[in-house]
Amino acid sequence: MNRFEAEKELKKIFGFEDFYDEQWETIERLFAGKRVLLIEKTGFGKSLCYQFPATQFDGITVVFSPLIALMRDQVKALNEKGISASYINSEQSKDENNQIIQKALQGKVKILYIAPERQENIEWIEATRKMKLSMVVIDEAHTISVWGHDFRPAFRRIINLVKLLPQDFPVLATTATATERVQKDIEKQISGNITTIRGSLIRENFELYVIKVSSEDEKLIWLAKNLSKLEGTGIIYTGTRVNTEIYSKWFEFLGINTTEYNAGLDAESRKEIENGLMSNKWKAVISTNALGMGIDKSDIRFIIHTQIPASPIHYYQEIGRAGRDGKPAKLILFYNNTKDEKGIEEDYKLPKAFIDGGRPSLKNYQKVINVLKQEPLGERQIMKATNLKQTQVRVIKADLIEQGIIKEVLYGRSKKHEYQFDAPELNTKSFEELRKQKLKELNSMIEYVNLTTSRMKFLCDYLGDNTLHSYLNCDNTNLSRYTVSIKDKYLEKLKEFRETFFPVLEVESKNSKIVNGIAASYYGVSSVGAAIHRSKYENGGDFPDFLLRLTLKAFRKHYGNEKFDYIIYVPPTESGDLVKNFAEKLSKVFKIPISHNLVKISETKPQKVFQNGYLKRDNVSGKFEYKNLDEIAGKSVILFDDIFDSGATIKEIGSLLTKYGVEKIAPLVIARTVGGDI
Amino acid sequence: MNNELAYWITLAHLPKIKTSIKNEIIVRLFEQNKTIIDFFNLTEEDWKNKFNLSDNDISIIKSGIEDLPNNSFLVESLLEQGYKILPITSPEYSSLLKKNLGKSYAPPILYTKGNLQILKEDTIAIVGSRKANEFSLLFTDNIAKKASENYKVVVSGFAKGVDKQALDSALKYKGHSIIVLPQGITTFKSGFKKYYKQIIEGDVLVLSTFHPKAVWSVQLAMARNPIIYGLAKEIYVAESSSKGGTWSGVIDGLRKKRIIYVRKPDINEKNANILLIQKGAKPVDITGNIIEYMSIDEEVTSIVSEQKSNYYEIESKILDLLKKGIYTSKKIVEILKIDWNPRKVTNFLKNQKDVVTINKKPLKFTHISRQISPKQQSLFDLNTGPKT
Repeated sequence: MNRFEAEKELKKIFGFEDFYDEQWETIERLFAGKRVLLIEKTGFGKSLCYQFPATQFDGITVVFSPLIALMRDQVKALNEKGISASYINSEQSKDENNQIIQKALQGKVKILYIAPERQENIEWIEATRKMKLSMVVIDEAHTISVWGHDFRPAFRRIINLVKLLPQDFPVLATTATATERVQKDIEKQISGNITTIRGSLIRENFELYVIKVSSEDEKLIWLAKNLSKLEGTGIIYTGTRVNTEIYSKWFEFLGINTTEYNAGLDAESRKEIENGLMSNKWKAVISTNALGMGIDKSDIRFIIHTQIPASPIHYYQEIGRAGRDGKPAKLILFYNNTKDEKGIEEDYKLPKAFIDGGRPSLKNYQKVINVLKQEPLGERQIMKATNLKQTQVRVIKADLIEQGIIKEVLYGRSKKHEYQFDAPELNTKSFEELRKQKLKELNSMIEYVNLTTSRMKFLCDYLGDNTLHSYLNCDNTNLSRYTVSIKDKYLEKLKEFRETFFPVLEVESKNSKIVNGIAASYYGVSSVGAAIHRSKYENGGDFPDFLLRLTLKAFRKHYGNEKFDYIIYVPPTESGDLVKNFAEKLSKVFKIPISHNLVKISETKPQKVFQNGYLKRDNVSGKFEYKNLDEIAGKSVILFDDIFDSGATIKEIGSLLTKYGVEKIAPLVIARTVGGDI
Repeated sequence: MNNELAYWITLAHLPKIKTSIKNEIIVRLFEQNKTIIDFFNLTEEDWKNKFNLSDNDISIIKSGIEDLPNNSFLVESLLEQGYKILPITSPEYSSLLKKNLGKSYAPPILYTKGNLQILKEDTIAIVGSRKANEFSLLFTDNIAKKASENYKVVVSGFAKGVDKQALDSALKYKGHSIIVLPQGITTFKSGFKKYYKQIIEGDVLVLSTFHPKAVWSVQLAMARNPIIYGLAKEIYVAESSSKGGTWSGVIDGLRKKRIIYVRKPDINEKNANILLIQKGAKPVDITGNIIEYMSIDEEVTSIVSEQKSNYYEIESKILDLLKKGIYTSKKIVEILKIDWNPRKVTNFLKNQKDVVTINKKPLKFTHISRQISPKQQSLFDLNTGPKT
């Protein structure tokens, strides 16, 4: 097919008149059974480079993409054009995914989007034996490189797959963000005569700003004053999940229409928010970086970061979704440069901590290796056998697999990990090398913050785009700087907010009468944690009264004037009568009778000993009993505890009381920890 | 090398093409210093002219090409799970297996898990009935012990009875062992779980020659037997009846002039061990020591039918003759002066794996070994014999 013929087809199927030269160059190579790495900025039209050939090939084009939101948007758009496209991912039920696999086997699907993790899925692997395959596409290909900014272990398998594919089988890898080092790495990994096509990365409609502040309050205040004034709708990225909650509650308090998004939400809620974002339902979505990559919204007018990303590549990638329509978009980055006693800037700490904590200790690697030398184990079994957190186990697993020390083997439908006979020693050199590289990248991000010259030029240079442009549109060139001025009015509001903002405990489930509860504070981000710690572990006596006041406030805000029949409390493990005494005080103030009938029937260990949810659940499962059942049947009760971590204890008691016929169980705690596992 | 594996799997499992033809292709590629990828990229003309492939073979190969991307997915999944795939050209492929089975039967590809070094060590096979008696199991234990003490690998087929005893004894005496599977390697989950420690400690190698997803079947169990014999330098028979896998395996082995040791049975045992000894297997006692002179008891002799023994003599005479040339059945009867009619010879020869039928009228036969020219054999002669 020559370009003229292809463009006739293009018009017919996609409605476009012609290809860009770089698009056609790519497509022509794919037609010839070649391998191409395409590096082009967001909005260039990379997808067309595989979607068009896919419509011309005989069999199925498989697109590996880490972005579920993108799959959804693209499949919808393709279906509207009458091209049969589907996706398989973790958001759909097993049945839905299997149905699509069946359709694909019957040759009824042209383009199949699939999450790279699927390469580990047995139904998919079975199906790949029988499908008629015509092309493989690796979307967001920078994720296949450990030197890329978002390396995903599952993509390692895609690379292995590509290496095994027949030589004349077309393969396309695309990305918007690859430094030269990443480009070389991808080329090396995909091997087999790959051609790289690289376009210019400049985004001329971007207006880049950095706002240096001296406290977290200043960020909140600047946003309070200015968010509503920004044109259109956009995204605010906060560094952590907790911050998405705090920022969105702050805007809620101020009456600014925003919503919160993070990877902890269920698929349904995530979809709803993504759709709401598309239809400008909110001024801004407050999110971790889980949102945005792959969202096909052309008029995102601003993207604000309240924390610096890990590197300029991360930053370029995360702001990349703004202003795809070519109209001006504001990209604002906050940086708190207050120095602590050691001379370290506040906002440098979080990303630095991510880098330092990026790898578990060698002792923990050895733990996993040792248990796998005994028998093949699944992920949960490893967690139970080692008492390690899921996040840690996953990092360790990925590294051990990468180094060929263990393998993931299918045992029927379950996956188990096997130690390998010829396993090499754990190589920690590569970890250190990677850590140094990440630190270097973080320091480049700091360089961007402190830059006095064109910000876009810095980003393009960093990403290996050496084309010549005049770079304008930032607060170092032709735009005026944003500054923060603190007014008492906002300081007061902030104080008021702090006293009325309470973290929710999400524990509701279908089969339990337990409802979502409330905590008086976060454990780590206030003086509350320190006060609890003093009482619990440093013989500091009863919990201080200010905690009582705060807990009462939280209770009233969440439960209003609802009537309860009893207040019951979680029997202690090691902190004596602290919880009981506190509950008695609450009982007096609430004028709700206290019950001492919830007891432990056998010993439990302190939950904090256990590093993951499975072991926490095992620790408390079947360990409680209620002594006087008649007393509580059909009643509403408050369930009080001091600290809420994984929620395993509260949930266990919730289901027990449900069994005993309690009508409603309302959890109340002094503090919720941050980042509890599972 | 890995990038060839999808091609290897495709070739190895092409349906309805004989192993000898597949190996012939491999030998020619080897001689021409070409890869298997080159082969699949050839034109139909080349397949026909340079590889002497029939139109039928070519159409099978062409449909195999369509499976290449699919087989790439399969290979990825296998490698990811730690299975190792050894094409016949791989230096890790057992050279003994290549030598013993030759171009006609050596499987083009082996699927393995475990310590590959075991394939380079000296090997013995202990074979026998699934329902072996106590003597046989004791014999198996003795042989496995001796082998393990002498750093010899025990090859067995993971069936009940003698096979299982051979494996367990080898492990008991801290020896090395090869399990030859009667199924595809990915369907051996319970075994992998059971022998996990022995595998990761390097004492066991699991090996299969079948499609990785193939489930156990009688046919595969039968087809697995020659692989066991092929992998072994010495063969010990604990117990055999006069039919079934052990019997046909030994008969086949004797025909190939292999040395096979058979346990001399007790006078009251009901099995065909004595028959095998009469056919040329070497008798050994319960500890595996060779019995130099063995008088066959009257009682036992009476079991052996004179006629049948004669029958086998004629069979091997015919096969020996075919190694020397190409003959019609009529000609064979004339030369050997046997009292078979030509039709009986034809029927017999058609059922022989080692015999090549030349489909022209009148039908002619020859032995498969005659088809290999000395030069072509080079792949199979490479690194022959185990390391000593």
